Amino acid sequence: MRKTALFLALTALVLSLCGTAFAVKDTLVVADQYDPTTLDPIGHNDYPTSRACSHIYDTLVFLNPDGTLRPGLAESWEFLTDKDYKMILRRGVKFHNGEEMKAEDVKFSLERANTPAGSHIHTYSQDLDSVEIVDDYTVILHLKKVNYPFFSSLVHSWGNIVNKKAVEAAGDDYGMNPVGTGPFKFKEWAKGDHYTFERFDDYWGNKARFKTLTVRSIPEPTNRTIELETGAVDIAYPVTTVELARIEENPELELQRKPLPSTTYMGFNVHKAPFDDVRVRQAFNALLDTVNIQRAVFRGVGKTPRTLIPSATKYSIDGELPAHERDVEKAKELFAEAGVDPASISITIRSNERKERIDMATIIQAQLAELGIKSEIMQQEWGAYLQALQQKTHDVFLLGWGLSVPDPDYAVAGLLESNAGTNYTTFNDEKLDAMLAKGRSLPDGDDRAKVYKEMQLYINEQCPMIYLHNDEAIAGVRKIVKGFEVDPFEVHSFRNVYFEE
Amino acid sequence: MLRYILRRVLLLIPVLLGVAFCVFTLLYFTPGDPARMVLGDLATDEAIKEFRDKEGLNDPFLVQFGNYVYKAVAHGDIGRSYSTKRPVMTEILTAFPYTLKLSAFAMVIAILIGIPCGIISAIKQYSWFDTVTMIFAMVGLSMPVFWLGLLLILLFAVHLRWLPSSGFSTFKAMILPSVALAAQSISMVTRMTRSSMLEVVRADYIRTARSKGQNESIVIGVHALRNALIPVVTLCGLQFGQLLSGAILTESIFAVPGVGRLMVNAIMTRDYPMVQGGVLFVAVTFSIVNLLVDLLYAYIDPRIKAELK
Repeated sequence: MRKTALFLALTALVLSLCGTAFAVKDTLVVADQYDPTTLDPIGHNDYPTSRACSHIYDTLVFLNPDGTLRPGLAESWEFLTDKDYKMILRRGVKFHNGEEMKAEDVKFSLERANTPAGSHIHTYSQDLDSVEIVDDYTVILHLKKVNYPFFSSLVHSWGNIVNKKAVEAAGDDYGMNPVGTGPFKFKEWAKGDHYTFERFDDYWGNKARFKTLTVRSIPEPTNRTIELETGAVDIAYPVTTVELARIEENPELELQRKPLPSTTYMGFNVHKAPFDDVRVRQAFNALLDTVNIQRAVFRGVGKTPRTLIPSATKYSIDGELPAHERDVEKAKELFAEAGVDPASISITIRSNERKERIDMATIIQAQLAELGIKSEIMQQEWGAYLQALQQKTHDVFLLGWGLSVPDPDYAVAGLLESNAGTNYTTFNDEKLDAMLAKGRSLPDGDDRAKVYKEMQLYINEQCPMIYLHNDEAIAGVRKIVKGFEVDPFEVHSFRNVYFEE
Repeated sequence: MLRYILRRVLLLIPVLLGVAFCVFTLLYFTPGDPARMVLGDLATDEAIKEFRDKEGLNDPFLVQFGNYVYKAVAHGDIGRSYSTKRPVMTEILTAFPYTLKLSAFAMVIAILIGIPCGIISAIKQYSWFDTVTMIFAMVGLSMPVFWLGLLLILLFAVHLRWLPSSGFSTFKAMILPSVALAAQSISMVTRMTRSSMLEVVRADYIRTARSKGQNESIVIGVHALRNALIPVVTLCGLQFGQLLSGAILTESIFAVPGVGRLMVNAIMTRDYPMVQGGVLFVAVTFSIVNLLVDLLYAYIDPRIKAELK
């Protein structure tokens, strides 16, 4: 009898141990490049923070992988006029503090973006005039002027809906005490190391299939890969060119790649001689072998753009245009037409410290030298570089531009519209400004597509910049992780992730 | 003794003022507009102007400095971080435990390995042990920490998979960064112990001790070591102070969220209050460690204790 009891006890013990060993993994660990700066959705404009906020909050509309929009916190919407959007809110949506989401919270969240607290993202919110509350579940967004891209911008982090009471109660400390309606609620944030969120069990949509989400900030690309290889993290993002092969060759890991709507370019200061002459800019473009520069530096990641609107974005004509080809004879002709002797040109190529940009600048320098153009590469740390560009005394510079809102307007306006703060080419052109305004005033459709096609051809002809690189979003994923998909706007969601049993 | 401590603490005031002034001046002349860095390059000109007005960035240099010192002294307020909006002091105090743990670990490793190695090298001068130790010390001293760190990661994290390569939350994760950081200190402590011991064992009182037939282990362990330790303690103190001021490279390689990384990020983003607060904090820690070391002398060396009285 005693033996049987002992046997039973032992069996029970072994079984319980097995139970622990085979328990389903309940924590997803992700490695991101940087720590968020805040968890206030309007207090930033950077990717790691957008990613963190996307787990805690929801936006009124959600973005489909193909760039179209689907209902989020808003069940449906209707454009009353060009400037007034009526939105019907989902009922019964709970905030993490137990309150129900109502029209008042939506009004508060969106209008708050236009206060000084939202200075990072004014560029998206500035055309919003006010939000009218019709009843608890209906709001009307009133715009100052017709701006169709505004609606798409609601999927950006700034369109996240916060709880009015929680924000007002927390004051300046709200960034550390976020309250949203998203699938995960805030648990802890060890600054610079990791943040941990927990599944929100009252979530209105599909609940997460794991309990805890931990995102660690690991700035060194090699370290992210190592942690992924050893299984300490399940998903690592971003993966750099150097690390690609190691992840690809590892049978436990999988790479996910998607084209990113971002462009790296070499811009001319079009108000400074000799770049005030369009023919000189075109001559530089003809002289440079951009396709091979991109290949040499990025070794199979991304591609050389053919137009300013990245191929992954709607209305891009990237696919319709031929690849850029180097043509030294044409460059010589263009210089001759402009009456500029290339050997008399001496310029400074500015860049920040990113290695790929310096590599590209070095090849550019060598190719320019073939016609006797003298150039010097000047490397600056980011803060100093930005300030130098703002003074607008530079010759040429290497810089990148990424879209975080799925509309072609944002690909062009920030870089080339006359009054844009980030227009470092100083391009100032009434025709382009008019095209941009027209593009914003048209609803999606063939008419709008035509405007952007013309615009892209016109920019290529004016050549205020030379396109160098369209990047890719690359994530390394352990094979046991299912349901994850890299987001083309780099705001990766873990809502549908689960572990293979 | 108390008067001595009080005097040393009071001396901190001019030191801190000097440090604050230097940092302030350096930041003032560093290119890069904090408003632009904080608000992002998409921010409108009005927002930039508003930020500069609000933070007093348009005031003359001396007025800015005066305001800073006044707030710090009168309200104990050294500002809020531009980027996270949290008080600078909170940010530093969140990061400091990591740096403290890392430095303490490294220091313990350095002392536990460095002092015994130094003693044995000295009493067995020119033996094979001495030669090997000195070669290792030379290598350890010359090896840059970022290189050593990467080698350690390659061996222990990638190939052997014994230890994690980053993070600092578990004991296992602390081993690699602490060892990498300790390498230089081990070498310095070993060399200093050795040379100091060599000097002492030739002193007359050691010969006396030996000639009166004293046990060799007591001669070395009590008579020689205690006298030889004074320069070693100084060195350890200085090293510890230095480690505490943020082992920037080590913290970056192993992704340790300590004071060093906090300050590098602050510099990159022109988070002025964070940089100023960080440097001041480091200055205070360094001074306090130095004071403690001086007090430790008194404990080790009765002659100094007498002087202090």
